[in-house]
Amino acid sequence: MDLALHEKKIPIIKIHDFLIVSIQVDMHDKLAIQLQAQILEEIEKTGAKGVLIDISVLEMVDSFIGRMLSGMASMASIMDAAVVIVGMQPAVAITLVELGLEMPGVDTALNMEKGIEMLQERLDSEFI
Amino acid sequence: MTAKIEFENSKKRIEHIEDVLSSVAAGDLDVRVETTIEDDLTGVEEAINILIEDLTYELKQSKKMREELEEKLSKIEEQQNTILRQQDDLLELSSPVTKVWDNILILPVIGTLDSQRAQIMMENLLHKIVETGCTISILDITGVPTVDTQVANHLLKTVTSARLLGADCIISGISPAIAQTIVHLGIDLSVIRTKATLQDAMIYSMRKNRQLVDGKIKTEHAENEEIEN
Repeated sequence: MDLALHEKKIPIIKIHDFLIVSIQVDMHDKLAIQLQAQILEEIEKTGAKGVLIDISVLEMVDSFIGRMLSGMASMASIMDAAVVIVGMQPAVAITLVELGLEMPGVDTALNMEKGIEMLQERLDSEFI
Repeated sequence: MTAKIEFENSKKRIEHIEDVLSSVAAGDLDVRVETTIEDDLTGVEEAINILIEDLTYELKQSKKMREELEEKLSKIEEQQNTILRQQDDLLELSSPVTKVWDNILILPVIGTLDSQRAQIMMENLLHKIVETGCTISILDITGVPTVDTQVANHLLKTVTSARLLGADCIISGISPAIAQTIVHLGIDLSVIRTKATLQDAMIYSMRKNRQLVDGKIKTEHAENEEIEN
């Protein structure tokens, strides 16, 4: 079982100052926890300033994954990295709002391009 | 002897009456009791004839009334179908999401909002945001006379969901009546950006897009001219 989970690891790609995480499989609780730890480790290792999580293929986000995502945003922000959730589907957004998970403090973007622009702008303004 | 013949005659007549009554019971209303001799039984026979006439008349009346009722019922059903169809049409027509400028969507809402309509409106807006990739959307409620708690809640949900997608949602055209209701209901709209009119909302969004510089609309065409100069 552990081996099977290990094989399904979600790839984290580093581009310049950002980490890009593209979730391509259905998330289950164990995978979510594993991903959270994996991303935080990667932030420490690479010193990334931003994390983009692409959830555009996720058709279902339950309260656990929702909480995991918002929790990850606050954890990453203490480690000096901003988290941007990218490409959420309308149905997912409606579900999350109905569940009362409005994810304050989590930045969102319509697509990866806009997410990168957003992080870049923030990074530029920090150094001025 | 005469008494016996009379008895036989009466028996025949009674049998005839029985026949007539049974055919009436079977539904044949054209038969009548035929009388030739005037005696004590004639009264009974005539009374039966009158009863059959009355019954025929009543049956005709009730048949006519039933037909009328059925006609009315089918008319009512037809009207109800029309109402249902129009409601569907209204729901479809009532939430037009339009792209008015680069990156800007507008959803003008006209008429009273109920939960169902607000829900459909929200879904339409969110899908359109994803489809067009516009990051700013304006929800104009100038044409909405009143809102209740549920609808205000739906507006809030729409704005929050749009934010989750990564788009800004501005509400414009809140009338004094709606402002009063919202404050009295204790709904906190401070997290939502509200603008007085659609115009203000447009100006704000274009400023945010950096399409409006010094009160002038900056288009790609104008930019090219500047470069040429």
